[in-house]
Amino acid sequence: MVSRILCGFKSYKMKFTLKHIYLFSLLLLIGSCSNDDGVKIDEEKPTISVNYTGGFPQGCALLTRGETYNFKAMVTDNSALASYSIDIHQNFDHHTHDDQVTDCTLDALKQATNPLIFIENYTIEGGLTSYEINIPVTISSDVEVGDYHCAYSVTDETGWQSRTSIDIKIVK
Amino acid sequence: MYPNMFHKIMNIGLFFSLCSTVFAQDSFQIKGVVIHAKDLSPAVGATIVGEKLHSVSSDAGVFTLNNVTQGTYSFTVSHIGCKPQTISVTVGPNMKEIKVYLNEAATVLEEVKVNGKTKRREVMETPMVTHTVSEEFLKSNRENSLMQTLSKIARVSTINIGSGQSKPVIRGLGFNRVAVVQNGIKHEAQQWGNDHGLEIDQHGIENIQIIKGPASLLYGSDAIAGVVNIQPNKIPLPNTFGGEVNILGESNNNLLGVSAGISTRKDKWFYRSRLTYRDYGDYKVPANRINYENYVFELDDNNLRNTAGNEADASLSIGYVAEGFKTETVFSNVNAKNGFFANAHGLEVRTSSIDYDSSNRDVDLPFHKVNHFKITNNTTISAGEHNLHLDFGYQNNNREEHSEPVPHGYMPTPPNTKERLFIKNTYSLNFRDNFKPSDQHGMVVGLNAEYQNNNIGGWGFLIPEYNRFTAGVFAYDQFEVNSNFHILAGLRYDLGRVATKAYYDWYPSTVNNEDGSTSYIKLQRSKNKTLNFGSLSAALGLSYIDNKTSYKINIGRSFRMPLANELASDGVNYHMYRYEKGNLDLDPEISYQLDVAVDYTAKTFSIGVSPFVNIFQNFIYLNPTSSYYETIQIYEYTQAEVFRVGGELNASTTLTKNLQLDASVEYVYSEQTSGPKKGFTLPFSPPLSGLLSSRYQFNNFLFFKKPQLIADYRITAAQESIVPPEEKTEGYQVLNMSFLSEMDLFKNSLPLEMRVKLNNVFDTKYFNHTSFYRLIDVPELGRNISLSVTVPF
Repeated sequence: MVSRILCGFKSYKMKFTLKHIYLFSLLLLIGSCSNDDGVKIDEEKPTISVNYTGGFPQGCALLTRGETYNFKAMVTDNSALASYSIDIHQNFDHHTHDDQVTDCTLDALKQATNPLIFIENYTIEGGLTSYEINIPVTISSDVEVGDYHCAYSVTDETGWQSRTSIDIKIVK
Repeated sequence: MYPNMFHKIMNIGLFFSLCSTVFAQDSFQIKGVVIHAKDLSPAVGATIVGEKLHSVSSDAGVFTLNNVTQGTYSFTVSHIGCKPQTISVTVGPNMKEIKVYLNEAATVLEEVKVNGKTKRREVMETPMVTHTVSEEFLKSNRENSLMQTLSKIARVSTINIGSGQSKPVIRGLGFNRVAVVQNGIKHEAQQWGNDHGLEIDQHGIENIQIIKGPASLLYGSDAIAGVVNIQPNKIPLPNTFGGEVNILGESNNNLLGVSAGISTRKDKWFYRSRLTYRDYGDYKVPANRINYENYVFELDDNNLRNTAGNEADASLSIGYVAEGFKTETVFSNVNAKNGFFANAHGLEVRTSSIDYDSSNRDVDLPFHKVNHFKITNNTTISAGEHNLHLDFGYQNNNREEHSEPVPHGYMPTPPNTKERLFIKNTYSLNFRDNFKPSDQHGMVVGLNAEYQNNNIGGWGFLIPEYNRFTAGVFAYDQFEVNSNFHILAGLRYDLGRVATKAYYDWYPSTVNNEDGSTSYIKLQRSKNKTLNFGSLSAALGLSYIDNKTSYKINIGRSFRMPLANELASDGVNYHMYRYEKGNLDLDPEISYQLDVAVDYTAKTFSIGVSPFVNIFQNFIYLNPTSSYYETIQIYEYTQAEVFRVGGELNASTTLTKNLQLDASVEYVYSEQTSGPKKGFTLPFSPPLSGLLSSRYQFNNFLFFKKPQLIADYRITAAQESIVPPEEKTEGYQVLNMSFLSEMDLFKNSLPLEMRVKLNNVFDTKYFNHTSFYRLIDVPELGRNISLSVTVPF
């Protein structure tokens, strides 16, 4: 592309006529149409889902204190998965909602005193294109019961990200 | 010069009344009086010139023309300080009184320069590729924000948030790569942020110069992609008083705006003042629901909830002008508050107990408010061969961002809504000496210095407190080889020092140590650190005028110093829902650019093309990584080589005396040629876009004078080149119509100016790739009717 511009540059030194304007316009049009550098770039986001048999938690799931659950989600990418994260936080103030199909019934609003906070990041080694997240999480028996939110996110090696989130409830 | 003549000219209109009496069968007398409309005082010494007829008004403003035979005559009435006007008088029995209004010649005659060159010729001669935007253009194209008004110019586009907030983008680069200069002083706010606009009152601006391409040579850092230079208004004429009131209403967001300005000048002292107030409701989009990721937001009556806002601006200036000396000091304050779309502020999905739909005019959380106070002084002194320019500036920018306090990660629920506070003080000094060592050379040497002090507050940390000092010296020479061939060459060197201050979280985070133990510590987000930068800029340009064609070619090296957010960010940006990480090792950006501009202008036809090639050695880019920090994706400032090419094509033709057609196409291709996003474009890349515009001027009818109908058809291609986290954006076509006219409603005053605008005529639902809300799939504004009336006095 540089050479094309320089080509126009040379002609600048020749006799000045209106024709050169057309040449420049042509150049502009050529410039505007070419994207033929051959570098292949990844334009696809990874995917993430709990909507399969075994996916956990499902929307409106009830989790009992003192139990350990395996959090499972399927992630895929066209080229290479990189990292994922799990974030479980209280939704006592109803500040956000999930992106699942069903609407869950929420408890009354309340202030948090000792909520469960689970914030973890993980990497996916080996440039896989498909992977099942499987992380055991123990709901400690002293955490506050109520509405919670579970957010998964995943990135690929390019830096694309996908997220999904699920409304859950921690009960006694 | 003419003290007697100016003595009583305290107004801007001229009331010119002609009376006649029959005193012979075929010979008549025209008797008239020339009066100033404002105070009805007589205009002394006005000349009334016709073919073979001539008169000058007396001390009482009276004049007579004797022995006029029956017929139609044409006279030109002239008076110092007024635009001359030609009138037609039918002389005969029962002659009717004829009234003529002469408008003030609004400006000191700019064309009468010592060198006798017109402004147009000067623009042609300077090798720099610039575009001057006139007051007329601004008036007939005014949109919701100043920058949206300018986006009609090929190569200028905007990054928008909501209806009234936008930032300039020149050839695809914006934020802190385009310097916005007002009254010679660089506008300094939080320009790096993409969720707020420019704190400048768009009313009362007469002239804007746009420099496309690197202009570091003249403006230092930040002008690496171009400059939007809002020039000081012209000085009013001696012994004049004038003003205008503008009222604006818009249907889409129920905007009501009022702006009033006055200016007055005695002999040497002059004063100007302006007040502006705008209040608007939520804006409407042609959609009932927004789909973002897997979320669906229902909209109430197409209202994009919580995008209402208001703005109140005031300015006052005082100036003094004398032989070889001119100074003006401007005090201005811009205060604005506006809300952000409540459902997904930035990228985070929110629910709230706030009843947003109860009113579409209130501003609830999240919102931001900003106050920008500015003092500028521009002084010009002519000392022999030298023209010295001095600019001083002080700016105080106070910006608050408020959102609902929500706990996040290890951060408990914050105590209040004040998420972020920035208080930035900027002191600027520019000095420039223009002189001509010989007839062929025009030399300019100058100095710019700026000191900034940034303070922060609120519970959300993004950028640290810092002090920054920058200074640069430059010199350039415009050499006239012959009257049609000019060369411009210049050099500049800049030094900069940034000192960031340490910051620690106000809450403890849980940290798992390597030995298996757990600590709870207040994490350090930024360090006390001093960084020094230095950089060289250079430019070389040629301009050649060959009859109707002008050629310009420019090559330059520009630079930009990294900003504090690029160096030292370290925190969650909730507006974007990402973790932003600065890099203290960043080098100043260096850019090389080749610009060419060819323009051909004939009487009824003009065409111009302006291609460019640009290489950034180390473009600073906020790169989305594949890593997480406490489950939030980390974006890290990195540097990459970037190659860009593009240009604009403009054509304009006057088909008939009344019909003018304009067409323009703009395109830019960007590619990162190294670094983690090699092969990708740059964020917010504007797609290929064209604008077809036709303007038809009707004959005067009823009380409408110079009525014009304008149709703008914008055709934008899809943007297929994206970089994470963007989405591809489909192409669109939008039609805007406007009707402009002067209205001659009141006999003794200047005509009113009226503008009716119909934007997005077909209520087309489309997405703008360079809109902040594009990231959350919010379409652009629906149909909007606006009415603006300007009453001059």
